[in-house]
Amino acid sequence: MSETTTDALTEALPKVSPVARMARRALGHHGFMIGATVLGLIVLMAIFAPLIAPHDPYAQDVSRRLIPPVWDAKGSWEHVFGTDKLGRDYLSRLIYGARISLLIGALAALISGVIGTALGVAAGYFGGKVDAAISYLITTRLSMPVVLVALAVAALVGGSLKIVILVLGFLLWDRFAVVTRVATQQIRHAEYISAARCIGCSVWRIVLSEILPNILNALIVVATLEMAHAILLEATLSFLGLGVPPPEPSWGLMIAEGKSYMFFKPWVIVIPGIALLVLVLAINLLGDGVRDVTAPENRN
Amino acid sequence: MLQFALRRIAIALCVAFTVAVFSFFLLHLSGDLAVSIAGPESSAEQVEMIRVEYGLDKPITTQFVEWLWKAMHFDFGRSFYFQDQVTTLIGGRLGVTMTLGGLALGFALLIAIPLGVIAAIKRDTWVDRVALTISVFGQAMPSFWFGLTLVLIFAVNLRWLPASGTGTWKHFIMPVIALGTYAMPAIMRLTRNGMLDVLASDYIRTARAKGLHPATVMFKHALRNAVIPVVGLAAVQLGFMLGGSIVIETVFSLHGLGHLAWEAISRNDYPVVQAVVLLLSVVYIFVTLVADLLNAALDPRMRAN
Amino acid sequence: MLKSVLLGTALALCLAPGAAMAGKANDTLVYVSDSDLENISPYHNNMREGVILMHHVWDGLVSRDVKTGKYVPLLATSWKWIDPTTLEFALRKDVKFHNGDAFTADDVVFTVNYVLTPEAKVVAKQNVMWMSGAEKVDDYTVRIKLKEPFPAAMEYLAAAVPMYPKAYFEKVGIEGFAKAPIGTGPYKIVSATSGQGVKMVKYDGYMKNSPKGTPKIGKLEFKVIPDGESRVAELMTGGVDWIWRLPSDQADSLRSVPDVSVLSSETMRVAFLVFEMQGDDPAMKPLKDERVRKAISMSIDRKAMVDNLVRGGSRVMNAACFVEQTGCVQDTVVKYSYDPAKAKALLKEAGYPNGFDTEMYAYRERDYAEAMIGYLKAVGINAKLNFLKYPAMRNELHAGRAAITMNTWGSYSVNDASAFTGNFFKGSGDDRSRDPEVKAWLTEADSTVDEAKRMELYGKALKRISEKAYVLPLFSYSANYAFTKDLSFTAYPDELPRFYAASWK
Repeated sequence: MSETTTDALTEALPKVSPVARMARRALGHHGFMIGATVLGLIVLMAIFAPLIAPHDPYAQDVSRRLIPPVWDAKGSWEHVFGTDKLGRDYLSRLIYGARISLLIGALAALISGVIGTALGVAAGYFGGKVDAAISYLITTRLSMPVVLVALAVAALVGGSLKIVILVLGFLLWDRFAVVTRVATQQIRHAEYISAARCIGCSVWRIVLSEILPNILNALIVVATLEMAHAILLEATLSFLGLGVPPPEPSWGLMIAEGKSYMFFKPWVIVIPGIALLVLVLAINLLGDGVRDVTAPENRN
Repeated sequence: MLQFALRRIAIALCVAFTVAVFSFFLLHLSGDLAVSIAGPESSAEQVEMIRVEYGLDKPITTQFVEWLWKAMHFDFGRSFYFQDQVTTLIGGRLGVTMTLGGLALGFALLIAIPLGVIAAIKRDTWVDRVALTISVFGQAMPSFWFGLTLVLIFAVNLRWLPASGTGTWKHFIMPVIALGTYAMPAIMRLTRNGMLDVLASDYIRTARAKGLHPATVMFKHALRNAVIPVVGLAAVQLGFMLGGSIVIETVFSLHGLGHLAWEAISRNDYPVVQAVVLLLSVVYIFVTLVADLLNAALDPRMRAN
Repeated sequence: MLKSVLLGTALALCLAPGAAMAGKANDTLVYVSDSDLENISPYHNNMREGVILMHHVWDGLVSRDVKTGKYVPLLATSWKWIDPTTLEFALRKDVKFHNGDAFTADDVVFTVNYVLTPEAKVVAKQNVMWMSGAEKVDDYTVRIKLKEPFPAAMEYLAAAVPMYPKAYFEKVGIEGFAKAPIGTGPYKIVSATSGQGVKMVKYDGYMKNSPKGTPKIGKLEFKVIPDGESRVAELMTGGVDWIWRLPSDQADSLRSVPDVSVLSSETMRVAFLVFEMQGDDPAMKPLKDERVRKAISMSIDRKAMVDNLVRGGSRVMNAACFVEQTGCVQDTVVKYSYDPAKAKALLKEAGYPNGFDTEMYAYRERDYAEAMIGYLKAVGINAKLNFLKYPAMRNELHAGRAAITMNTWGSYSVNDASAFTGNFFKGSGDDRSRDPEVKAWLTEADSTVDEAKRMELYGKALKRISEKAYVLPLFSYSANYAFTKDLSFTAYPDELPRFYAASWK
C-alpha cells in the first residue's frame, strides 16, 4: 500500500494512466458493476420519484385498502404493488421511500465522515497525547449500544428525519476514525509529508493536500459501509417507532406498518424488505468493489 | 504483560466512567425528576418534598457522585412506571438477554469459522463464492425483517417453532439465528482473511516443506494463528449483539433487557433506560477488556500497541 | 447481582421447559393483552387489563347482571337507601379472602375510607370521589355515605369499587399489596411479575351462589405480548388461548384458521380526539381557536374509518360519551360531517391558510392515528405522531404537552354518561377544555335524582362540548376476540371478558 511502489508501477507502465487502469479493473469487477448499476438505478428512481410514481404516496383512501399486488389473482395494474392499510399506493410509497433511505444514508455518512476523519487524521498525524485522547473517545463511543442510545435520544427530542440524520451522524463516526487514524499513521512519516512540513506548509495544508488525497480510497470504502449501516439503522429505528414519523414512506416504517398484516398478506413486509436488502446489498457491493479496484494488492 | 494489563484496565475504567456520565445526563435530560417520581397527580408541595428527599435540590456534581456511588452498588432507584427497583427489573431480564447473546455468538462462530476456513482453503472456487455471498447477504439483511420472515416461515406456515416468548429452548432457535446472522459476516471475513495470510506465510510453507500431514498443518499451525484476531472481534460482536438484541427481542417478544429498554423508552421510564445503557456498555467494556488481555497472552506482539 | 444473572440464565435454559403450557389439556387458560399494568391494585391503574383482573380477583358489594341490567347481590346480600346520601348494605357472612381472613364490615369501611385519602393516590378518582366515607353498623352491616345525592352510585359500586382485606393491606402496605394482592374473587393470584404477567388459580373457597358463578377453568394466566403479530402467531401456534384487540383485518383473516374462533362486537369504548386548550404554550395556540378545532372535526372522515378500518359493529359517535349510556343525550349535539373544503375555509378564516405543524399523541391502534394524520395532512395540518404507552401518554396529556391526543375511554364498563363526562369535563387532568359552565352542569346532573332534569343537564353539557368542539368523538370500538376452538367464551359489550364464566368444550 506504500505510495512509492504505486508510483514506481505507474512509471513502469507509462502508456496506461492510473485512472484508465482503474476503470478497466472496475469494468471487469462483477460486484462493482452490479452494485454501481443497481445503486445508480435507485438514485435515479429517487431523484425522479415525482415523474415515475404512478400515484401520490400520501393520498389515502381507506375504501381501497390492502389491495394485493399485480401478481396476485385479485391484483391489478392500477396498483402494481397493491395498496397499504390506508389505501396508499405501495409502489409510489416505495419509490418515494428511496429518497428517505438515500438521504439519510448519504447525510449521516457525510456527518459521521467529517467527524470521524477529523478525529482519525488528527490522531494519526499528531500521535502522542492527541492520539491517546482520541483513541479513548473511540473506545467510549464503541462501548455504547448504538440502537439503544439512538432510540433513547430520539425519544427525548422526538423522532424526525432531521433528528435521525443527526443522531446517526453523531454515532457512526467510529469506523471512519479508526480507519483514517491507521491510514494517516502509515503515511505520516512518508518523505513527501516530511518535505511539505520542511518547506513550512501549515498543518491544514498538509492534511488537505497531502494526507486526505492519500487516504481517500480507504475513506470511500468506509463511507459506503457506513451509508449502508445508517440506512439499516434508520429502518430499524423507524421499525421500532422512533425514527422517521408517519406518514413519511420510510421503508422501515412500511415494514412496521405492514407487520399486522404479514401473516395473511406477506407481501406488505416482503416488498419493502427486499427493497432495503437490495439497496444495502448494492452499496456494500460497490464498497467492496471500490476497495478491490483501488487497492488490488489488498484483495483477498 | 502486567504493565499492559494495568494500562488496559485503567483505560477500561475511564471509559466506564465516561459512559456513566453520559447515562447520568440521559436521565437528567429526560425531564424534572422530582415531578416524574412524584407522579402526575401530585401537588407542588409533594414535588418539593420529593426533591429534598431524593437530594434533587443539591448541586448536579453532588448528585452525580451520589448517583455513581449507588450505581456502583447496583442501585438505580425506582422505576417511574413499575412498583419495582430498577435493579430487580433488570435482574429478572438479564438472563434472557445473556442467554440470547451467548447462544447467538456461539451460533455465529460455529458457522462463520468453518465457513471462513473452507473459503480460504478453497480460495476462488464456488465454495469461496458461496461463502462470500452468504456474508454479503447477511450484512445487508435488516435483522428485524429477517426475524419477521423467520416467524412467517417457521412459526406460522410450517409450525415447527414457537413464535414468541422464552418458554423452552425451542423459543430461542429463531432469535439466535436472527441475531447470530448479524454477527456472522464480519467473523467469516476475518477468519478467511486471517487464514489466507497465514497460509501464505513462511512458517506454513516450511511446515509443508517438512512434509507434515496437510491436516496437521491446517489445524495445528494455520488455524490457531488465524483465529487469534477472531477472539477480539468476537468480543466486539458480542457487545454489538447485546445492543442489537433490542430489535430481536422486540420482534420475538422476548422479555429481555433490550425489550425492557424499548418499552421503558416508550413509557418515559428513564431510570430503566439509563441503567440498561450503562449496563450494556459496561458488559461491552468488560468483554473487550478480557478479549484484549487474552489476545495479549496468546500473542505477545499485541502488547506493543 | 451475578447470582441472579446466573440463576436467570439457568431458569431461561433449564427450568423453562417445565413451565405451564396453554390449553385445555393443562386446564390453563392463557389470555393475552398488549399492555402491562403499572400497578396491579385495581384502584391504582386505569387500564382495561386492570379492570379484567379486578373482576376476577376481587368482588364488589354488588354486581350488575349483564343481561338484564339489574343490580344483584355480590358481597352484600341486600341494600337500602336510608336517605339520599346514605346507602346501607347487609353483608354476606360466609366470605373469606384468599388468605383465609373472613370478610366483614371492617374491610368495607377500610377500603372506602382508604381510597378516599389523598395518600392512596387513586388513579381513577371519579370512581370513588362521589363517596364521603363508610361506617360500620355491626360486623356485617355497613353504611356508605355520599357527598351528595348520586344516582349512579350502584353502577359504580358494581363496576369499580372492589373490596380489599383490611388486615393484610395494613400489614403489607400498597407496595406489598401490588406484589402479592389478595381479594375475595373467583381466582386468586399466585404470582405477579411486572412485565411478565399474572398467574392465577381457581379459588376453591369462592362463595357459593355468586352471580359470577363457580369458576370452571383451573388456572388462568394473563400474559403481556405487546406486539400484535406475536399475539396472533402465538394463538395460531397454540402458545396462548385467547387474544383480543385484533384489527378487523386480522379478525377476518383468522376466521379461516381451523382451530380458532373469532367473535366481533361493538363495545362501550369510545375513541375521541382531545385538543389541548390550557396554558400558553405557543405550540397549542391554533387549538385554542374554535374554528381550528371545528376544521379538524370536519377534515376527518369518521364514517369511512368506521366502515373500512374499525368495522365489526362500530359506529360514529357525536356526543362525548357512549351512545347507549344513560344520559348520553344525542339529539342536540352538533354533528360534524366530513367536509375538507369547509375545513380549509375555516382554517383560512382562523389565519392558517397553509395549515400548521402540530403533534398527535396516541397509545393504541396506530393505524387509526395514522389515518387521521393523513386526513389532517390533506387540509394542510402536519401532525407528527407520538406513540407512547398509555401512562406515559397520560402524563403528557395532563402536563399540557400533548396538542392533539387520540384518547379512548371504556367508562369502566359503567353504563352511565357520568362515567365518561365525569372524567373528561369536570376539571381533572384529563380535562383540557375546563369549561366552568360544563363542569357546573355536569356536577349538578351527577347528583340530580330527577330523571328528566338530569337528562336536560347532560344534554346541555354535551351540546356545549360539541358546539365548541372541545373534543372530537370519533367512534365506538369494535372488539375482536379470537380464541381456541376448545374454549366456550361469551363476549359482552362492556368489554369485560368473563373468564370465570368460561369453560372448556
